Order: sequence, then C-alpha cells, then structure tokens
Amino acid sequence: MAPLLLVENLKARYGPVQVLHGIDLNVFDKEIVVVLGANGAGKTTTLRAISGMVETDGRIEIDGESIKKSDPSEIVRRGVAHVPQGRGTFPELTVEENLKVGAFIRADKDINVDMEACYQNYPVLYERRTQTAGSLSGGEQQMLAVSRALMSRPQLLLMDEPSLGLAPQIVEDLFTRFITINKEHGTTMLIVEQNAQLALDIASRAYVLESGEITIEGKASELADDDAIRRAYLGA
Amino acid sequence: MTPSVGHIWGLDMDLFLQRVFDAITNGSTYALIAVAMVLIFKATTLINFAQGEQAILGAFAVLQLWYWGIPMWGAVILGMLFSAALAAGLERVFIRKFDPADHLPLVIITLGLFLVINAIAAIVWRFDPQSFPELFPSGNAFTYNNVRLSWYSIFAFGSCVLVLVIFQTLLTRTKTGLAFRAVSSNLESSRLSGIKVGPTLQFGWALAAAAGTLGASIYAANPVLQIEPSMMLRALIFSVTAAALGGLDSLWGALIGGLTIGFVQSVVVQYIPFIPNEMSLSAAVVVLLIVLTLRPSGVLGTKAVERV
Amino acid sequence: MLDKLQKSTTPTSERNYQLAKWVCFTIFLLLIAFAYVDVGTISIGSNNYNLSLIRLNKAIAYTIAILGLQVVIGYTGQIALGQSFFFGTGAYVSAWLIADHSWPFLLTLLIVIPSCFLIGMILGLPALRIRGLYLALLTFGLAAVFPSIVKLDKLYGYTGGAGGKLTSNYKFLAPSWLPFDEVAQALQKLPFLGDFFGDGPLSTREESRLWKFILFSILAALCFWLVHNLIHSRPGRAMRAIRDNETSAAVSGVNLALTKTLSFGVASALGGVGGAIYVAEIGIASPDDFSSLVAIYLIVGLVVGGVGTLPGAVIGGLIYALVPDWASSTQSISFVPERWLQGPTGSLILGVLLIVLTLFLPGGIVMGWRKFKNKLLGKELSTAR
Repeated sequence: MAPLLLVENLKARYGPVQVLHGIDLNVFDKEIVVVLGANGAGKTTTLRAISGMVETDGRIEIDGESIKKSDPSEIVRRGVAHVPQGRGTFPELTVEENLKVGAFIRADKDINVDMEACYQNYPVLYERRTQTAGSLSGGEQQMLAVSRALMSRPQLLLMDEPSLGLAPQIVEDLFTRFITINKEHGTTMLIVEQNAQLALDIASRAYVLESGEITIEGKASELADDDAIRRAYLGA
Repeated sequence: MTPSVGHIWGLDMDLFLQRVFDAITNGSTYALIAVAMVLIFKATTLINFAQGEQAILGAFAVLQLWYWGIPMWGAVILGMLFSAALAAGLERVFIRKFDPADHLPLVIITLGLFLVINAIAAIVWRFDPQSFPELFPSGNAFTYNNVRLSWYSIFAFGSCVLVLVIFQTLLTRTKTGLAFRAVSSNLESSRLSGIKVGPTLQFGWALAAAAGTLGASIYAANPVLQIEPSMMLRALIFSVTAAALGGLDSLWGALIGGLTIGFVQSVVVQYIPFIPNEMSLSAAVVVLLIVLTLRPSGVLGTKAVERV
Repeated sequence: MLDKLQKSTTPTSERNYQLAKWVCFTIFLLLIAFAYVDVGTISIGSNNYNLSLIRLNKAIAYTIAILGLQVVIGYTGQIALGQSFFFGTGAYVSAWLIADHSWPFLLTLLIVIPSCFLIGMILGLPALRIRGLYLALLTFGLAAVFPSIVKLDKLYGYTGGAGGKLTSNYKFLAPSWLPFDEVAQALQKLPFLGDFFGDGPLSTREESRLWKFILFSILAALCFWLVHNLIHSRPGRAMRAIRDNETSAAVSGVNLALTKTLSFGVASALGGVGGAIYVAEIGIASPDDFSSLVAIYLIVGLVVGGVGTLPGAVIGGLIYALVPDWASSTQSISFVPERWLQGPTGSLILGVLLIVLTLFLPGGIVMGWRKFKNKLLGKELSTAR
C-alpha cells in the first residue's frame, strides 16, 4: 500500500547551515505518526519542508505525486494543512475570521456546517467568536489553530509541537481530541513533539529525529517501552 | 457694520472658523493619500516613499484625460484605474522579488521610483503649474457674514469619508479583504492557509494608488491651487506625517492624522507668531518627529508595530 | 600582471604591492588634475561634456558624504536618509565662519566636525527605540525640512536666507612654494600627451583650483583612512554585527545604544565635512542645494557605488557629480525625442540606476567588479566584508 506522504532522502538548509541530512519517513492513510526530537533536531524544518516553506533536496510526495516544487498555497490545495509552532493564529482577526481564513481554499456550501461543528467541539471558541484571536489564552489559541487547519478538510494534518506552553490538562484534552478527529474524519496526522509521553500514547508509529537524521523508527508502543527513549524523552 | 460671529479670546471668530474649514478640507485630501500609505504599510510594513509621486502622477493623468475631452468625473475614475493598474504592475515587477522583512532594498526601490515618476511627470507635463478642473460645484453652500463654507470643502471631506467607508467594507466584508487582513496579520499562516500572497498584496497596492490619486485630484481641484510636479514632495511629507500620527496601520487613523495635519497647517501655524507661513511643511515634520519619538504607534495604531 | 596578483602572498611583497598601487594612483590623480585644471570638455556627437576640476571637487564633497552613509547604512545597517541635512549644516557653518568671521577653510572644519557629530548623535537618539522604517521616515523628514529651516527669518543673519551665504571673498591661494607652474610647463613639453596639459603658465585661478583639488583629495584620503580603521576596530565590528543581526549582536554583548550613536555621529560628521568642501568649491551656500532630493541622490551614489564598500563612495560621488550634469549637457541624441532630454533627465537616469542596480546588482558596481575579477581569476569570493 502506498503511503499518503512519502519523504525520501530529504535535505534542507537555511542559508549555509544544513539542518536535515537526508531523512526518510512515511505516513500511511488514516495513521497518526509522531516525530520526536529535542530542540534544534530539525522537527520544525521537516514540517516546513513538507508544506513548501523551505527549499529542499530529495523526494516529497503526496499520493504518489511530488510536491517538492509547489508553493505553500498549492500544497494546501492538495489536502495538507499545517499548524505551525506557536499556533500561528491571526491575532488581529476574530476567532470566526480565523476559521474563515482556514476555509479559504473552499468555495462550497458546507463551510458554515464545519464552523458549527468546530463550535460544538470547542464551546469556548463559540463564546469568543467575535473576539480577536490575540486575546485568547494559549490553550484556546491552540484549539483555534487546529480548528482552522481542519476547516480546509485536509487529508493530512501536520502539527508542530501542539503541547508547547500548555498546561497538562489542556494538553490531555487536546490529544484526546486528536484521536477523535482521526477516528471520525479519517484525518491522517503527522505530529512533531518534544512531549513524548502523550504523543506516543495516541500514535501508531513514531520516528526519532536527532541532529537532522532519523535515528530510530518503529511502532509507537515499542518505542514507549524502549529504555533509551524513556531516558531521553520521557524522563524516566 | 455687519455683525460678525464675534471675538472670543481675542480671536476673530470669522477668520478662525474659516481656517477650521480650510483645515478640514485640506486635511481630508491628505488623509486620502495617507490611507494609501496605511494600506501598504498594513500589509507589508513597507513605507512607500513613492506614494506621493504615484498620487500626483495619477492626478496628472486625470488632467490629461480631461484635456482629451473626457468629462471630469469620468476622467477621475479612469485616472484612478490607470493608477491602480500601474501600481499593480510596480508591485509585480519591482516589489515582489524582495523579502518583506528586509527593509533596506525595498526603501531604496521606492526612492528610485520616487525619482523616476517625478522625472517622467516633469518630462511629460513640464514644470509649469496648470489649472486643474473643478470637481465639485463651485460657490458656497453656507455663508454667514464673513465665514464661507464652500461646496468644495463639503465634498472634499465627504469624499474622504466615503472612500474610507468603502475601504472598510471592502476589507471586512469581502474574501479578498479578509485575505488582505490575514496577510497583514500573519504572513506565514496566510501562506499555509492557501492565500496567494503576491496577488493579495498587488490588490492592496492597486487600492492604495487609487485612493492616492483621488486624494491628489481633489487636492488639485481646489479652486485656489494649481497642479505641478513639485507638489509631490509636499504630498509625501504631509501624508506620511498624517499616517504616522494616526497610526501607520489604521485606516481611520489616517483620517484623524490628515485632519490634524490640516489643522496644524491652517490653524496652529497661523496663530503661533514665531512660525512663519512657509514653515507649514516643517511644522508637519516637527509633528512627525514628536510622534515618532513619543508615540511611534500613533493615535490609533497597534502598539506592537514599532518596537525594535 | 594577473599572475603577479596571485603570486604576491608574502606579507612584505603584499605591502610593497599595495604601496606601489597607491603611488601609481596618486601620480595618476595628479596628472588628471593638471590635465583638467582648465575647463575640459569631451565631445560626443554634438554634445559637450564638462569634465573639470570643479566637477571633481564636487565629486570629492559628495564622496565624503557618501562615505558617511557607508558607515551608517553600509556598515551599521541603519536606514538613515537624511544626509543632506548634515551636508547642509556643514556647508552653512563653514560658510558662516568664512564669510562673517574670516576663518580659513581648514579651521572651520574644527567646528564643523564636532558640531555635526554631536547633532548626529542627538538626532540618532530616536533610532535607538524605533524600527528601521520609522527611522527612515524621520531622517527623510529632517532632510525635507532643512531648506525651510535655513530660510527662517530669524536665522537670516547666519544663513543669508533664500539668497544664500556667499563665501567667494575667501580665496584659496595656493602656497607659493608649490611648483605648480614648473610641473605644468614640464608636462606640456611631453610628446603626444603634452597638448592635454594646456598652454603656457597657470593663472592664479587655475593654481587655486589645483590647490583646492589636492587639498580636498588629501582630506578625502584622511577620511577614508579613518573610516577604514574604524571598520576594522572593535566598534567597527560591533557595527557590522548590528547590521547582520541586531538581536544576536545584543546577545553577544554589543552595546547597541553606544554603537548606533557612534555610527550616526561619524556619518553626520562626514556629511558635514563634505558640505564644507562643497561650499568651499562653489563659493555659496544656498538652501535649495541641500534639499531632500540631494539626500536621495546621495543614496543613489551609495547604492550604485556599492553599499558597504569604501571604493563605492568614490564611484558614487563621481556618479552624482557627473551624471545629472552630463544628462543636461546632452542636447541631442539621434533616436531620442528632444523633449526627453530637456526635462530632468538626470534624475530619471539616477532613479533608473537605483532600481536596476538594487534588482540586479545589489552590491553595486564595486561588488560587481570584484565578482567579475574573481571569476577571471577563478577564485571564490569570500563572504567577509
């Protein structure tokens, strides 16, 4: 079975600094895959490479078609949505406008239906729908960011450290939500995280990224039991 | 002896009111060009030093169309379209190549455009002042003794407010407007949401140029003024100060800024004895200095914008 | 010649090579001076182009002002658009001292330099708190306002108002011990080239021009030497760190406020010196010679020459002094309608140059030349500036 997302020998650099030295990863349809790594390992760069924000060498394919040369707005239209690190909300726009922007590439009639669904899942967003996104708390912004990404009805959802800066309870709720989204909509997810515990709990497979190279890959449950992983990322 | 409005604080109220009307009139036209600067700054945090030039060039285009026999308001609309198209072209060819975060090359390009447009206007239309046709009914709507409120003043102010309302609606109620505000708010997330940033900015440039041209045309249509290329520098300084004063990323701030500058020019300068008349340009720059040193974000602008 | 470039790797031979280069350059400069001491013209088609010491002296004035811009924009990365303000200040201060107080030119520099430095530092204070573009706005406003300030009635006694301040009463007399006449006569006797050097002994005016040129060139050389040392000193490295990344610089311990203020001060002082030289050459300081257009033209010189390079200032100064003048001297080119040549063609060309160079050759002519040279020699261009 061909993967939804195929990444092969991906290299990326910022100016003279080489960040990714040739990584391979696959994400199959309806999976949740997690990439673990410390700061500076290249996790954010990986996601940015996939969504077309950095120049790369190597193969990146969605459904067998290369997206390496596409720019971000085209990649979104191929069904890839990216929730950047730090939420990436539009601070001056209202919550509702943020969602509308999320649906920018769509012109169909169901946009309002999706917005209703989002409000049902996150009632606090409904309460604050006319407030500017910048006035929301960290957890609320994250809910907004994820909802915004989902408004484009993506096949593949990329998320960059969704737990960053959030209280543990909020993170738990968030990750439970991810499982629901995955089950109900069949949205494939590639999540990049430092917080390995919860990530490995919800994922089926995982990769470990160190200094721009994939050092470990395997089933999430196996990695969670692995001693080296436990020491490095789970603080056990 | 005709009764006058009287004297308050030793001021001749007739003259004072007249000056206030002048302030509102001129201020409105500055505000229109200031709106142009605000639009571009909002989207790209770029200050377009060529904005004054583009505006006056547009006004000259309107003049030329009028010479060719096109009725006045048709000429204005066509002139605005011409300006918009030119601006869209400029954005595409010269501006888009550069990283919006790197300010120096972009400032230099707009300075270059300043020179080029200035030179072309002078080459095509020469330096002699020319009479600009009147856009609004002449005469006064309201006269009370020595105080005259001309139709020109009313329409100038009215046009300004109308344009602002139209722009505000465009920005808040249309999809393109939403895209524009999204780009202003977060460039990267806009890309990630599928917004095509280039064409969106182009739209902003076109809109800005149209507003500027309208402002310049109304300014030149003032019965007591004539149009000439040297207006461009004054237009730039006044509008930039107005924009900065109101807040470089606030549309309605542009109106406040414009009116304030108009006020400074027509009222303050006249009444403070040691500032001679021709210092109105300098008075504007002094205001700019004060604003930038004390409160760079202006009256209505977002605070975050100015910190290093 | 080329392989001599590659072979000179030892320090002494490298130093000797540099010395030889400078000596040749100085001799070349002197020859130019003697050749163009009278008004020289080049004719192309039916157009006469003026190339005289007057132009070259102006070029020197502009070069020094642009050198100041190299310091603040090129090496510190601050967008300062108001150099005409300091150019004008230096000019007026010097003119006032010469005309009203009979000071000799060189002595006026002792006032011009510190006062411009101080004013530059003070006006640079807002730069510490506001972002690049706001600074650009502010400095541009300053440049726009300078002519009006100078025309103020209150300052009439100092500035001469709209009519300007004349200094032509002060004559730059060449010291009599300099053998100008002898050198000129000797050069005239050269075969072939002798005709270039005119006829007969030099008049007092010509000697004065020659003297001015040499004096100004020495001043310019001094400025270049000082700036060169500044760039390679610790404050200079701090400036370049700020240019490359302000936050990193701050984090690495660079005192942002001090360095920026220093850079503004130096740039303004250089602008003032340029202005003083300018007024010494043309003999009058008048308000419209220091308008904001001048500020923009100086930027053109900076960019076309090459931002962040020292030779770029020389090229920039030449371009500013020659292009507008030569553009208006061009009365007819066969395929161009006359109308285009009668207007402000000079500023059109400068504007186009500015745009074209920023788009295609951001390092200016100097960087373009260096890249070209290195391609010829097959070397890698080092990224250090």
